Amino acid sequence: MEERLELPQGTLDLLILKALALEPMHGWAISERLQQISREALQVQQGSLYPALHRLERRGWIKANWAISENNRRAKYYKLTPRGQKQLEVETAAWRRLTSAIDHVLDMA
Amino acid sequence: MLHDLFYRLRALFYRRAMDAEVDDELRDHLEREAEKYQRAGLAPNEAMRRARLALGGSEQVKQQCRESRGTKFIEDLLQDLRYAMRSFAKTPGLTVLIVLSLAIGIGANTAIFSVTNTLLLKPLPYPHPSRLAILWLRSPGIGIPQDWPSPGQYHDIVTQNHVFEDTGLVLGNSFILTERSRAIKVDGLEATSSLLPMLGAKAMLGRTFLPEEDEPGKPQTVVLTHGFWQREFASDPNIVGRSITLDGHPHTIAGVLSPDFRLNHEVIPTIAGIDKPEIFMPPDEKAKNVTNYGPEIYNILARLKEGITMQQAQADIDVIAARLRRERHRDRSFTISVVPLTEQVVGNVRTAMLVLLGAVALVLLIACTNVANLLLSRAVVRQREIAIRAALGAGRARVMRQLLTESIGLSLMGGLAGVAISALSILIARRMHPGNIPRLEELGTDFRVLVFTFAISIFTGVIFGLAPALRASRVDLTTSLKAGGKGLASGGFSIRHDKLRGALVIAELAISLPLLVAAGLLVRSFIRLASVPPGFNPQHVVSMNVAAYGQEFKDPATRVQFYQQLTERIGHLPGVTATGAVSALPLTSAIGWGGMHIEGYVPPPNEPELQVDQRSATPPYFNAMEIPLIRGRTFAETDTDKMPPVAIIDQKMADRFWPHGNAIGKRIRRSDDSPWITIVGVVGVVKEYGLDTETRMVVYYPHAQSPSGTMYVVARSTTDPTATINAITRQVNALNPNVPVYDIATMDQRVQDSMARQRFAMTMLGGFAGFAMILAAIGIYGVMSFLVTQGTADIAIRMALGARRASILSLVFQQGMGLALLGIIAGLIGAFGLTRLMSSMLFGVRPTDPITFFSVLALLLIVALSACLLPAGRAIRINPMVALRTE
Repeated sequence: MEERLELPQGTLDLLILKALALEPMHGWAISERLQQISREALQVQQGSLYPALHRLERRGWIKANWAISENNRRAKYYKLTPRGQKQLEVETAAWRRLTSAIDHVLDMA
Repeated sequence: MLHDLFYRLRALFYRRAMDAEVDDELRDHLEREAEKYQRAGLAPNEAMRRARLALGGSEQVKQQCRESRGTKFIEDLLQDLRYAMRSFAKTPGLTVLIVLSLAIGIGANTAIFSVTNTLLLKPLPYPHPSRLAILWLRSPGIGIPQDWPSPGQYHDIVTQNHVFEDTGLVLGNSFILTERSRAIKVDGLEATSSLLPMLGAKAMLGRTFLPEEDEPGKPQTVVLTHGFWQREFASDPNIVGRSITLDGHPHTIAGVLSPDFRLNHEVIPTIAGIDKPEIFMPPDEKAKNVTNYGPEIYNILARLKEGITMQQAQADIDVIAARLRRERHRDRSFTISVVPLTEQVVGNVRTAMLVLLGAVALVLLIACTNVANLLLSRAVVRQREIAIRAALGAGRARVMRQLLTESIGLSLMGGLAGVAISALSILIARRMHPGNIPRLEELGTDFRVLVFTFAISIFTGVIFGLAPALRASRVDLTTSLKAGGKGLASGGFSIRHDKLRGALVIAELAISLPLLVAAGLLVRSFIRLASVPPGFNPQHVVSMNVAAYGQEFKDPATRVQFYQQLTERIGHLPGVTATGAVSALPLTSAIGWGGMHIEGYVPPPNEPELQVDQRSATPPYFNAMEIPLIRGRTFAETDTDKMPPVAIIDQKMADRFWPHGNAIGKRIRRSDDSPWITIVGVVGVVKEYGLDTETRMVVYYPHAQSPSGTMYVVARSTTDPTATINAITRQVNALNPNVPVYDIATMDQRVQDSMARQRFAMTMLGGFAGFAMILAAIGIYGVMSFLVTQGTADIAIRMALGARRASILSLVFQQGMGLALLGIIAGLIGAFGLTRLMSSMLFGVRPTDPITFFSVLALLLIVALSACLLPAGRAIRINPMVALRTE
C-alpha cells in the first residue's frame, strides 16, 4: 500500500465545508466525496468525520436535518449555512496565504 | 456565541436523543459503506467487516462526537458529583463529621461576616454618607479627651468655615407627653432645620422644619417619627396641625417622617444619651443665641462640600479652633476635630470586629486542616480504588479533578448548613442583647453575605481537598494494587513517614493556641471587670426613673413634697427595707454636672473652670444604695431650703482638694455669685459610667435644697423585684397619674448590662477557641490512631521481639506529644505577636499575661495527652500473634 499523507490538524473542517459548498450531503456521502477528491493523496479517517461534523454544527457553520435519501432511507443531511459559507471563504483564503508563504520560504533556499 | 451556547445546552439536556441520532447516523454510514463493498463483489459479512474497519471503533467515534458537542466538562462534573454522592453515602459517619465541622466553621464565618458587613461595609443609611462628619471638642492637655460643643462655637463654625455644605446643631432631650390617658416620657432632638434634610429624612405627612424656624420667637412645632406616630397616635392620617402637650407646653405637629428613616445614639451621641429620638423640634432660644458659649452640651453635624476631604475640612476647622483658643482663652491643647460619621458609628467596635473576624477565620482554617486529615485517611483506604481508575486510563489531572469535586461537594454542603447555623447564631446574638453594638437591628443575611459564604465554601473545598487530592492522585499502580486493598504497607511506626499529616496537626495546635490565649485574656479581663466594686451594693435593689415635671410641678416645693410623699409610701411597702432617690443614677444614661468653685482654690490660668458631676439626692439615698459614708454625716430631713445649704462630696474630690482628710466644714459654690455651700460629709467613690471607666469628682446636694424634677427612685427590698417594681409603679400612679415611670431595672441588671459588650466578646471568642481546641484534639487523635493502625505490624514485631508495654506506650506518646510540643511552640510565638492587637479590649490584664499563657499551655498539653490515650491503649492491646498472621 502506497504512503498517503496524514491530514494536517484543522484542515478536515475546511475540506468538509468545501464538500458541502457544492450540495447538502449525508455523512457517508461526504466521506466518499472526500476520498474521491483526494483519492491517492490524503488519508481521511472515516471515524474522525463525525466528531468534526458535530463541531461544525455547534459553531453554526453547517446545519443538519433528517431527510429521505435517494433509495428511500432516512439519512442525516448536512447543509452549509451562510455563516459557514463565509467561514469557508475566510479559511480558504487563509490556507492559500499560508501555503504560498511556505512555498515562498522554501523557494528562497 | 449564542448559537454555541444553545447548542451546548441542547446537547446537555437532550443527551440521550443526540446519542441515539449518532447511533442512527453511524449505522446508516456502515450500511452504505458495506453496500459499497458488496457492490464490489464481497460477501455481506466480509463487506460489513471492512466497513467497520474503515470507520474505526464505533464507541470511540461516539465518545469523540460527544466531546465535540462541548458538554464534556459539565457531563464529567455531573458524573463526578454522582460518584461523590455515592461515596459519601458509603461512609455516612465520616461525611456527617466533615460536613458538620465545615458547617460550624463556615457558619461562624458567615455570622461574623454578616456583622462585619452590616457594621463596616454597608454605608450608613443617609445620602452620601462619606461626606457626613460630627464635630467634637478636645482638650487632652487638661484631661478632656472629648467634649460636646456650644451654640457659640457652632455659629463661629457656620460663619467662618469654607468646607461645609451644610451644618446642624443638635441637643438631645427628654420630654413628658401629658394630657393623654397616661403620661409618657418621649426622647427627642432639638435641632436646626438643616439636620433632617442632611440625613435624608423626608416627611410622609406634613413637612419637616423650615429655615425660618431657626430664628428666635417662632411658635413651637414638632415632627414625629413614623414609629412614634404609629404607636402613640394609632397612625392618625389627620394628625398634622394637631397640638400635643410636651413638658406642659402645647406644640403643633408639623409633620410625620417616612418609615425608613433611622437615627440613634450611635450616629448622634447626645450628652443626654438619647438612644432613639422619636420627636424632633426646632432649637430652643438658648441654641439660637450666637454668643452662647457657656453650655457645651450640643452636637454639631456637618456635610462636607463635594470634593472636600476630611483632612481639608480638619485643616479649615483648625483655623477656627485656633481663633477660639486665642479669643475665648481655651487651654493650649484645645482643638475641634472633624470625625467622619462612619468612624463615629463603628470606630470603637472595629477592633473587636476584626479580632472576631480573625478568630473565626482561624477556626475555619483548623476545620479545614482537620477535614484534610480525615480525607487523607480516607484517601489511603481508597488508594486501591484510585489505582484501578488510573489503570483504566484516568489521567492524574482527571483523578485530582474528581477528588476536588468531592471535597468541594463536601464544603458546599457544609456551606449550606453554615448559612443555617449563621442565621441561628444571629438570632442568638440578638437575644443576648450585646449592649451598645451599633446597627444590630440592620443585621441580616443579604446577597453579599451569601456570595461571601459561597466563595469561602469553594475556597475551603479547594484548601482542604488539595493536599489529599495531590497525595492520592500520585499513585504507584503496582504497589497499591498488590497491597490488596489495605493501602500502602507501612514503613514502620513513625510520623516521619507522614510529614504532611504531622504538619497539619502542628498547624492546628499552632492556630488554636493564640485563640485560646485571646479567649483566656478576655475571660481574665471579664473577671477583673466583674470584681471591680461599683461603690454601692447592687443586690436586691430596684430602680426606676420617676419624672415629676411639667406645669403642675413648676413650684420646686411641689417636687420636694412629691418625692417625700412617694418615699414615705414606698417605705411602707412590704419587704422594702430602704428607699431613696437621686437625680442621676450610676450606670444609667442620666447625667448632671457643672462648674464648681472651691473656697481658697484658684484654678490655673487658661484652664476652664473646674467641672464636677452634680447630683441631687434624698437623705436616705446613700443608705438605700449602701454607699459608704467615710467622714461627716449624710443628709438629714432637716436640710431644707430654710436651712444653710450643705453638700456631700465623694472621696475622689476630697482626696484631690483636702488630701489630709479635713474636707468637712469647707465651703464650695456653683458660680462666682451663688451662695456658699458647706461640705458636711464624704462618701465613697461610685462607678457612675461603667466598671471600666474612671469616675469624675461628685458633689451631692440634698433634694430639698436642689429640687430636681426627674429622679431615679431606688428601693432595697427582700421580696421579688418584679412585685416591688409593680407596687412602686402603682404608688406613683396613685399619687399622680401625670407622672411617668420609665427606665425600670434592678441595679444588678444595670451592672450586668454595663458589661454586656465584654461578655459578648468573651462568649464569642471563648466559643470559637473551645471549638478550635476540640478540633485540634480530634486532629491529634485522628493522626495517632491512624498511625497505630498503619503501624500495627511494626508494633507487633516489637512486641514479639520482647518490647514491654511501657516502651510501646512511650513510643505512641513520644510521637503524639512531639507534634503537640512543636505546635504549641509555634502557637506561643504567634500568640505573643497577635494578642497585642487586642490590648484595647482588655481590662486590668496585660496582653502577655503569664497566668493566661501558662494555663493555656497546660490545658493544651492535657488535651494533647488525652487525645493520645485511646490510640496508645489500642497499641498496647495489639496481639502480636493475630496482627502478624493477618499481615
